[in-house]
Amino acid sequence: MTELEHLLVALGRDLDVPEDPDLVAAVLASRPVSKTGLAPRRWALVVAVALLAALAATLAIPDARSALFRVLHIGGERIELVDELPRVSVDHDLEAALGERVPLEEARRRSGFDLRELDEPPDRVYLGERGTVWFLYGEPADVRLLVAQTPLQVLDGELMVKKLTTPETRVERVSVDGSPGVFLSGEAHFLFLLDEYRQIVEESARLARDVLIWESGGVAYRLEGELERGEALRLARSLR
Amino acid sequence: MEGRPPDDVALAERARRGDERAFEELVRLHQAIAFRTAYLLTGSAADAEDSAQVGFVKAWAALPRFRPGAEFKPWLLRIVANEAHNRRRSAGRRVALAVRATEAPPGDATPSPEGAALARERQEELLAAVGRLDERDRDVLTCRYFLELSEEETAAVLDLRRGTVKSRTARALARLRGEVGS
Repeated sequence: MTELEHLLVALGRDLDVPEDPDLVAAVLASRPVSKTGLAPRRWALVVAVALLAALAATLAIPDARSALFRVLHIGGERIELVDELPRVSVDHDLEAALGERVPLEEARRRSGFDLRELDEPPDRVYLGERGTVWFLYGEPADVRLLVAQTPLQVLDGELMVKKLTTPETRVERVSVDGSPGVFLSGEAHFLFLLDEYRQIVEESARLARDVLIWESGGVAYRLEGELERGEALRLARSLR
Repeated sequence: MEGRPPDDVALAERARRGDERAFEELVRLHQAIAFRTAYLLTGSAADAEDSAQVGFVKAWAALPRFRPGAEFKPWLLRIVANEAHNRRRSAGRRVALAVRATEAPPGDATPSPEGAALARERQEELLAAVGRLDERDRDVLTCRYFLELSEEETAAVLDLRRGTVKSRTARALARLRGEVGS
């Protein structure tokens, strides 16, 4: 250790930290009911989650699901914290999930909006549902980066991006050239796109790793990959 | 891992299987470091208490996903740190920590009042310099030196790769040297 490091350790020990409270009673009181033997509420949660997953598969989502979710007041209303992620199958066949593979020029022509591109051309391009254009960097079995651009064209309503996160997921507000966004990192998270009727129009459990999401000019952008926040923002700002 | 009671892994495994008494023991064992972590990240006793409490509750809910045999403390602290980060950003205020006022014990080895004041002043300058660093530098220094976590634990708590912790720590120390001029 250097002298500065020793000074920091000493400083840490001399910091004025209030006496730690006894949290045991409060934690036990506010903790969900017993999990031993899957108590009734636990079973209800499992059933509800299973029901949710089943309904999600049919592109419907019940209002009753709100009982399971809590809105996280960071990153806007769109980020919701859940105790358990819905059980969805991760797309093992990534290519099939992304859509029709097309040349970049064809994607530019058919996308219906001005595609933004990185300096490095994508290795593969796909046209997916709801007009989403996917740029894949690397190979489907070894994706370095996935860039999604989705036009927001729901009548009289805003397409809502619902990112379901777990307690281990870190949610950070970011700004991409003045457009608000969020950077999610950590444990698996799960993306819903909901329309104005709260119908699921897309669900994603693709890479389920670090994701940067932002909206600009009527297009939702998403960068997914093993990215740190600074790297993701740098890439996002270099989209032209 | 230093400082970890030998039965920590066993307790976590029992708690993962739904043993409430084991979880209660884990709360007892880790509540102090959870609160200290949250306090150093938020600078608010109320937010720290809430973050630690909510962190434990979320940890209980997330225990089914806890990997058997894994270290419980860094996993818990990551949840608490996430909660603390979220609260800090929601509050939108800067973290203001302070050096504890100490009452010098009597004895020959006790520094003079002037010496003690000088040492305290230097510590306050160093703390102020840490406070001027950006959030990521500050967080990594907080974990490594104020909380005395290992690189591996810091990586788990901040959700970084170990190599990133090493490089970010070196960068933060270099910036801190620039700030304090040493």
